[in-house]
Amino acid sequence: MFLLDRTKQRPTWFSLLHPEVVRSTGAVRQSVAKATKHTLWVSYEQDLTDALVKSVCGPSRALGNAVLIHALSPRSIPALTGCFRRFAFASDDAFLPPDELAEALHAENAADLLIGGSVNADNQTITFWRGNLEPLTVPFSAFETSGDGISPDFTAFSVTDSGQTVRLGEYEAATDSLLYEFDPEFRRRMAKHRQQSERSFGASVRRLRKQRGLRRTDFEPDITSKTIARIEQGKVHRIHKKTLDAIARHLRVAADEIETF
Amino acid sequence: MPFDLLLPAALKKARWKVKIREKETREPPHVTILRKTKAWRINLRTRQFMDDQPDPDQVPAALLQHIHAADNWTRLCDEWDRKYSDNPVQQPADGE
Repeated sequence: MFLLDRTKQRPTWFSLLHPEVVRSTGAVRQSVAKATKHTLWVSYEQDLTDALVKSVCGPSRALGNAVLIHALSPRSIPALTGCFRRFAFASDDAFLPPDELAEALHAENAADLLIGGSVNADNQTITFWRGNLEPLTVPFSAFETSGDGISPDFTAFSVTDSGQTVRLGEYEAATDSLLYEFDPEFRRRMAKHRQQSERSFGASVRRLRKQRGLRRTDFEPDITSKTIARIEQGKVHRIHKKTLDAIARHLRVAADEIETF
Repeated sequence: MPFDLLLPAALKKARWKVKIREKETREPPHVTILRKTKAWRINLRTRQFMDDQPDPDQVPAALLQHIHAADNWTRLCDEWDRKYSDNPVQQPADGE
């Protein structure tokens, strides 16, 4: 792992990842010669990232993955796309603090942690970076006001708890709840861990109904609350397509996705 | 604001946290124990760990005792109900 950084203290926070610290453009060129497609780069210095991109003369995406924690011009993005397999970028305050960032990048469950992200007020979304540097885009509407009246403040975004929590002012969201809602692969993985008794279609309907904050009566007049109860309890063995479509519509998912919840 | 259970200094120093956040995976009611990149969930209805991974044995006994202390447990259940009144710790009768 290469850490492009000129501070004295930060490299100690990354000790978990055994970084080779790069402080000059000359050292950048030497690092590029050692890089493989598995190399991780973390850069806090814009000029060193620029030097890194300029140094690339091999096949595209040969440099591995990168986390760029500094201002970045949109015009740099095509060149970076050619250099790295994956790269995450945002301004400094939108990433985990260095010690927690190192923990999240090093973790076995890195893909299930968020290392940072960017709020886009124009299209009302937040794009998160996961610990494996894959992006996850979530709409503002995912962050409902909680029962005690706490609302998200999208101007006060940060990631905390080593990537396990998203903070929006006084509002906190569990990372796993976001992954569960927006990543079908994560849901499938969680579903595998559930006990056999919880794998029924009815159990999925109940879980999803609870997630959506719906009562059984909310399905009326399309479906009676008694029918929903019987479906959830596994007492209905053949569900009509019309009923299935109505359930999916109320739960706001595709009918064939219900069982993944 | 999430509910963050006050912990003894030694546990806090070791980076243990016990939280109920505004957006949790809601079913069933639970409290989350956090330390670094790991999390353990305890079901507020059954008092049992909800997941077999990470290993529940990694959670120190002192922390579990603190969570299960009567006042703290009641507070956790109350805080869950305050945030998630549509999915309370005490289950309503059939036909909810």
